[in-house]
Amino acid sequence: MKTIYINNNKYNFEGEPTILEVVREKAGDIIPVICHHNTLEPHGSCRICSVDVALQKDGPRKVMASCHTPASDGMHIFTDSERVVKLRKNIAELVLSDYPEDKTEAAKNKLPTEFQRLLERLGVYKTRYNAKETHTDQEKDTLHPYIKSDLSQCIRCYRCVRACDEIQGKFILNIYGRGYDNRIIKDSDSSFTDSECVSCGACVQACPTGAIYDLYESKIQPYDKIVHTVCTYCGVGCNLEVRVKDGKIMGIEAPDDAEVNAAHTCIKGRYAFEFYNHPDRLTTPLIKKNGRQVPVSWDEAYDHIANKLNKIKEQYGPDAIGGISSSRCTNEENYLMQKFMRAVVGTNNIDGCARVCHAPTAYGMQKAFGTGAATNSITDLEHTDCILVIGANPTSAHPVTGSKIKQQAMKGKTLIVIDPVKTELAEIADYHLQLRPGTNIALLNMFAYYLIKNDLLDHEFIKNRTTGFEEFKEQILKVNIDEYERITTVDKHLVEKAAEAFAKAGNAMSFHGLGVTEHYTGSRTVMLLANISMFTGNIGRKGVGVNPLRGQNNVQGAADMGVQPHQGAGYLDVNDPEIQKYYKEKYGIETIPEKEGLKIPEMFDGAINKTVKAMWIMGEDVMQTDPNTQHVRKALEGLDFLVVQELFPTETSKMADVVLPAASFFEKEGTFTNGERRIQKVNKVVEPIEGTKADGQIMVDIMNRMGYPQKGYSADVLLREIADVVPFFAGVTWENLGTNGLQWPVTKDGKDTKILHSKEFKIGKGQIHFFDFEETPELIDNRDKYPFILTTGRNLEHYNSGTMTRRTPNKDVLTEDNLWINPADAKKKGIKTGDRVRLISARGETYIKAFVTDKVKEGVLRSTFHFPEVSINNLTGDIGDIETLTPEYKVVAVDVVAGG
Amino acid sequence: MADIKLPANKVQELREVCAKFNHDKGELINVLHAAQGIFGYLPAEVQEIVAEELNVSVAHVYGVVTFYSFFTMLPKGKHPISICMGTACYVRGAEKVLDEFKRHLNIKVGETTPDGDFSISCLRCVGACGLAPVVTVGEKVYGRVAPEDVKGILAEYR
Repeated sequence: MKTIYINNNKYNFEGEPTILEVVREKAGDIIPVICHHNTLEPHGSCRICSVDVALQKDGPRKVMASCHTPASDGMHIFTDSERVVKLRKNIAELVLSDYPEDKTEAAKNKLPTEFQRLLERLGVYKTRYNAKETHTDQEKDTLHPYIKSDLSQCIRCYRCVRACDEIQGKFILNIYGRGYDNRIIKDSDSSFTDSECVSCGACVQACPTGAIYDLYESKIQPYDKIVHTVCTYCGVGCNLEVRVKDGKIMGIEAPDDAEVNAAHTCIKGRYAFEFYNHPDRLTTPLIKKNGRQVPVSWDEAYDHIANKLNKIKEQYGPDAIGGISSSRCTNEENYLMQKFMRAVVGTNNIDGCARVCHAPTAYGMQKAFGTGAATNSITDLEHTDCILVIGANPTSAHPVTGSKIKQQAMKGKTLIVIDPVKTELAEIADYHLQLRPGTNIALLNMFAYYLIKNDLLDHEFIKNRTTGFEEFKEQILKVNIDEYERITTVDKHLVEKAAEAFAKAGNAMSFHGLGVTEHYTGSRTVMLLANISMFTGNIGRKGVGVNPLRGQNNVQGAADMGVQPHQGAGYLDVNDPEIQKYYKEKYGIETIPEKEGLKIPEMFDGAINKTVKAMWIMGEDVMQTDPNTQHVRKALEGLDFLVVQELFPTETSKMADVVLPAASFFEKEGTFTNGERRIQKVNKVVEPIEGTKADGQIMVDIMNRMGYPQKGYSADVLLREIADVVPFFAGVTWENLGTNGLQWPVTKDGKDTKILHSKEFKIGKGQIHFFDFEETPELIDNRDKYPFILTTGRNLEHYNSGTMTRRTPNKDVLTEDNLWINPADAKKKGIKTGDRVRLISARGETYIKAFVTDKVKEGVLRSTFHFPEVSINNLTGDIGDIETLTPEYKVVAVDVVAGG
Repeated sequence: MADIKLPANKVQELREVCAKFNHDKGELINVLHAAQGIFGYLPAEVQEIVAEELNVSVAHVYGVVTFYSFFTMLPKGKHPISICMGTACYVRGAEKVLDEFKRHLNIKVGETTPDGDFSISCLRCVGACGLAPVVTVGEKVYGRVAPEDVKGILAEYR
């Protein structure tokens, strides 16, 4: 315990804080700062935070910058002695010497900037030092759709430069020149648009003046309230602070104290919000009459739905009805949707969009560990020594986590990337194992082979915590490693070195994405990934584990809530009579479906075979996102009745018999569970756009209409119900979630869990599985005619089918999908960057613009699927993961032809 | 500036310099010094190669290049002329010598003649104060230069 005297008051403190930190903690905000920011490393350049320091009582005093001077035992700090007050004023005057005179106070009808507030606090408005010139002649940079700069207001605090370095890790910004001539530059003095800027906006948030600002001037617009909520764009689960005035969103910032994303979001989270009041929003229920969708009242729509569903149920039984829930919606809404299907309709035909992404993760990890969720937390990156990223491109798809991984790699932690594409992380990786798409199994087996052959194992862990190792060992030592090398196209010595680095790292953690799951052998790959963590003892403590980067904001939550045909809320087996009894009691009903339900592809097949007659789709555009569009179209056309809940008209909603206009996440409350099992509060930011209802409210309405008494949609009430049904939600209440949420399992007393499997696995011992490589039928059947392999992925600027992001200025940042092709292939085919090319598979064809790059190997093509103009899913096929039927988006046999 | 094509052998030489310094970020200034020796100046392309080799951002390299007056992003003339503006040279009339160079070549300090033959820069002391005012052209040093000598000096290189 150390002692410090702040203005003669005695305080105790611990650790090694700076003077500024101790003073802020003990005495509050009594030291002004300007170059310092809580979320950045101390910089110590402006000296505004100077204080008088004496090392003993009445000892000699020295002026020191409090932001970067460590506090020491017995220090006496004087925060407003005459000379430091004078010094601060003088510094402010020096800063003002080349700052525009008319910007020292807030603009009319605007809020003051942080610098203007500082000037007011110091009482300095004029300067005695008039420089020969200010910088008002400097050209503004206003080309970028969101981020702008007006460097006449720059005070060279370096906060933007440091934010770009320390928060995003892009290093775009720096300072040009010296003295009065110095100014902020982007790359080699280019613009936000032409530089490598990823538009995360961290510099905008960090800037204390108006030198770097955004389209919305969000920091100086007056507002009525700030609402804390959670982003809906991916599984990272970034916290957002949304400023609202007169029921309109004025701008979004990231909370400085968010555990998930302190001061950080990506372009989507911070800027892509304008979809919410876009004129395209659906604002009235529609019913198809005589082939046209016409507006009707909610009552008419509900009556029509209830009638139709009851009739179909009577005539064909409840299993002729299927539901697809949405990982974009809240836990409460997903819970209600599955409850509606099971308790009201009476079928287990309920599935969600996890089917097209991470179902193999849930399945594979349940098989290996007993729990289908990330074993650790993102903050564990600070405690790890080695990061393995397989089949994931987090700097684009999970940007905030991607940045954190990049930051750790730049700090010298070992980074291994297994990916067919040279991703941003692969570029800086110590080992990039650039395998041929579809060969994850072979590669991970090579990895395991070297762990075992070179005895890089944690024998203790294997013996005490796992089962199946000896059988695995026997199998793996029989494999032909040279054959694997040929299949994967990855040098076996490189794999050997990477395996050694992983095993010897101390703490090694893995992250995986859809490049693992969206394959013929997706679930098996997940199990092999679990193997290597178990072999090396990297389970059950900080900085280790197997961590799926969940795709959608609530894909974890949707599965937790029972949006799966084989497991109900809380992952309980619907085939088990005991469990059936449990749900009957909880839901207060007499009968519950006893047969396992249909997965999404099985529902489509059922629709084509006429065994499924009706479907209810909540917030998913299956026509654009599910594979083999022609097949999906045929299925939806084959239905007698289709209900779609949506924000916007989509290719899917256009086919519906009833369309229900839903409210966006800004317009409702509930909870999302992010990829690290963190249940976080979604607060209502604005009222639902007139004519729309929250998806959960729609479910409640229809349940009541069909005779089931369900209380009105309220997160608080529903969480209590969920806590009663889902065992690992036992201690979750709306109140105790706080601002940073809780990571499940949450025990009755409200305690959450950062790390899973620390003592034992849910299934006792970890199960080790062996699988040999199997070529996907897609390639076996089609590669002769279609010799290229197309793999699909995501770009930073757009989210999946782009329904939301294409309705924001993000469309001006990235305007179209394109096809990456290796220079050698491009030469052979006579294709140049910018050419429109024809892409053909066994299912269909499309036209797309080519981009020639060595980021893909010869024989491999890569594209995104954000724009309906391209509709890449015309090409994708029906092959799915053997265990879970998750479509194989990552391997499609195609041919490419120059000239469109 | 980015469409300048650099000679491959010089690029190779630059990459070897970076390798000699172990691609160490901390050696950035030494590498840039050597790069300017190779190319005569530091155009954006050279900065990009240095950034890539040392694994630092181009903005960082650009910031350092523009901070130090020694580094230049404009090509110097075939015969770079430097006029010493150190105290001793200055008091003995260096400014008049400079003006004479500017008049003859019709360029300002930091510029290069359109034919690429001459460029003018100022420096602070070459350690030959006894010969003030001092002018250097390339490696050659001229002492006690008077304005009327300028024409003759230039003629040597024309």
